[in-house]
Amino acid sequence: MQESTYLIIAYAIVWLGLFAYLAFLAMRIRGVQTELAAVEELMRESQEKRDGKDGN
Amino acid sequence: MALTKQATSIVSSAEEHTNDVDRESPARLPIAASLILGGLSCIGMLASIWLIFFYTPIDALQGVTQRIFYFHVPTAWVGMSAFVVMTIAGIIYLIKPDERLDWIARASGEIGAVFLTFLLITGSLWGKPIWGAWWVWDPKLTAALILWFMFIGYLMLRSYMGRTAESARIGAVWSVVGVIDVPIIYFSVLWWRGQHPGPQITSDGGLPPAAVLTLMVSLATFTLLYCFLMVLVYQLQRLQTQAQRLRAIVEFE
Repeated sequence: MQESTYLIIAYAIVWLGLFAYLAFLAMRIRGVQTELAAVEELMRESQEKRDGKDGN
Repeated sequence: MALTKQATSIVSSAEEHTNDVDRESPARLPIAASLILGGLSCIGMLASIWLIFFYTPIDALQGVTQRIFYFHVPTAWVGMSAFVVMTIAGIIYLIKPDERLDWIARASGEIGAVFLTFLLITGSLWGKPIWGAWWVWDPKLTAALILWFMFIGYLMLRSYMGRTAESARIGAVWSVVGVIDVPIIYFSVLWWRGQHPGPQITSDGGLPPAAVLTLMVSLATFTLLYCFLMVLVYQLQRLQTQAQRLRAIVEFE
């Protein structure tokens, strides 16, 4: 392999690795936000049910 | 039985933590901080690339391969600094337990592991054409590999133990033990004779001024990138903790 090939591979790995890590982070943040919204919805429903029972 | 106990402790912890941290909107991220740090990192990265490939002269001995150095050194700097940050947050956590410190430690551990992986890969890619080997058991390389294992061990431990106070305490102790390796990595070239090059920025002029400037810009860029990633991963930790607490409350009810 030529010397420049090692240089190109090194920079490509760092760049691609950084982009992959950023994409992975974005996916995890989106996933946890979706989960939070779903759990909050469940809590709201459970609260409404409890309020309904208390009303009766 | 143990699971019920854990669920009860999570619920009680959730009820205790209805403070300002938990009252923040869970979906909101510190957009301004992310944008500023992300933008500065992008600008810095472009400037670094330009300086590395168009401004700095080619090394007379190592040729173009020497240019790996401008990413290799900053990844080492970020990797080692991340471990120090993780340890400081861990020590303060041991003195005054606060989950925000644990989020900082976990975030720094994750980012440090990523950068230390880049350090080992770029080092190998420099070593092959210069030393003729992908890896040598040089003191500095071995110490860096040990630090990488410390990061991986920390992440595995925290993942296995979950988000509990015990996990945070053990993680803090782990980082206090592991941080001993950081000065060993730094000073190993002075303490032991190995193949790894010694300090490049010395009073007798190890590197030409153009190379020093490029390295400084690259170091600043990677530091900004670390801060940007810290903001993101810290928020991720916060959201994950909130989600876990809410889930526990829903399941308990």
